[in-house]
Amino acid sequence: MSEMARMKFYCDDKRCIECFACSVACAEAHELPVGISRRKVVTLFDGVEGKEISTSIACMHCTDAPCEQVCPVDCFYIREDGIVLHDKDKCIGCGYCLYACPFGAPQFPRDGAFGHKGSMDKCTMCAGGPLETNSKEERELYGQNRIAEGKVPMCAAVCSTNALLVGDAEMVSDIYRNRVASRGKNA
Amino acid sequence: MKKIVYFFIATLALASVAYAAESQIWGEMRIPNILGYGQEQSLKLGEFFTLWQGHYITTIFLGILILIPTVFGIHYLIIGPKTFSHEGKKILAFSLYSRIVHQIAAISFIVIVPTGFIMVFGSFFGGGEFVRICKDLHGVFTIPFAIVVIPMFLMWVKDMFIHLDDIKWLIIVGGYLSKVKNPVPAGRFNAGQKTWYWLATLGGIVMIATGATMFFMDFDIAMVKNITGLSQIDTLRAAAILHNLVGFAVVILFFVHIYMAVFAIKGAVQSIITGYMEEEEVKILHSSWYRKLKKQGKV
Repeated sequence: MSEMARMKFYCDDKRCIECFACSVACAEAHELPVGISRRKVVTLFDGVEGKEISTSIACMHCTDAPCEQVCPVDCFYIREDGIVLHDKDKCIGCGYCLYACPFGAPQFPRDGAFGHKGSMDKCTMCAGGPLETNSKEERELYGQNRIAEGKVPMCAAVCSTNALLVGDAEMVSDIYRNRVASRGKNA
Repeated sequence: MKKIVYFFIATLALASVAYAAESQIWGEMRIPNILGYGQEQSLKLGEFFTLWQGHYITTIFLGILILIPTVFGIHYLIIGPKTFSHEGKKILAFSLYSRIVHQIAAISFIVIVPTGFIMVFGSFFGGGEFVRICKDLHGVFTIPFAIVVIPMFLMWVKDMFIHLDDIKWLIIVGGYLSKVKNPVPAGRFNAGQKTWYWLATLGGIVMIATGATMFFMDFDIAMVKNITGLSQIDTLRAAAILHNLVGFAVVILFFVHIYMAVFAIKGAVQSIITGYMEEEEVKILHSSWYRKLKKQGKV
């Protein structure tokens, strides 16, 4: 990976076949509780011929991450490679990151007697969290750290049509540009 | 009594329906929310919230926290507190009922305001368990305030409408800029107290409503949608913005209220504890009310 690498996701909606593999694999790999979906497959115009379209949404790991800007306890940090992560031990579950997020990525488990919001949970691009890499604690709080093991994030790894692309922003856009060029017209 | 019970059952039933419904944030609405973010025809609440919360809100709260006590400190040093004889007769100003209602609201505020500040400066406290507990206390102590806010509104409302005295009071800033003890134009409540009353009750209801919106987060209540006309995520953004803006005003006047009761008028806090005000204090600070009481032969 070059020094300038910025990790990005991109879901090619012309290829996504709404198989839900990415969201299921994510939930299983990170042992997410019910009600938390770090990655979600959404279909628009379901059943309308020629109009139906599906895509897969998670944290987009924004360069100017709005969540990081609004967090009152500064629990977010952006890695050198652009992956946006947060510290669940610092998070107070206020929900501000969700209000700022354009993608609805932050998730909040409901726990405790008053059903108050627990620490926020979101896609880590399979890069774990601030705790010791690949430790039991990191795994319990943030899920697998596949990036540290040199593996592709779970969702993209299982995408059978290669609709979900992940990697250095330049490489992702190169692949997508080639695909558009070979398709010939309008994306 | 039966009516109240039915009201609670109906509220709980509605709340469970609101929760059971499909998510208003991560469900069907998610795509329109993404597509609408920052678009020309949208209200741009997401961007507005990010800008304000990211750059200004903490600074403004810090400014309030430093500036207001500084102003009070200067006032205390230069003009000093007002002292009234505690030897004279006393006038009943607050009934037992109004004192109990006030005290419940007071205890709520004493917890809600500092915990709110701790959340605003959450990064200073390092986040985590301490700030999380403060967040929970902030919510829990809203419950007693929510119970007394309407009784408090009703018990004082007839004395709180604007009067010619209030304009005169505002022109001389209640006489607090001079050391001389001249009678100050004010009825049972002065213009400052009236402002605080309206802000604490109506503003308080806004704070409860916006706070509850953020606490319950993902609910689906048709009435709320009809009033605001916003999607759930925009309702949350608007609630957070409003909660902070009204919060500025509430904390400023809360500080003023404490300063007046505890420091600026020596022993004034006793009147809300015992219910009795010193006759001289009423004569000077609530001169119109004193005249009225005299006419009625109550003094």
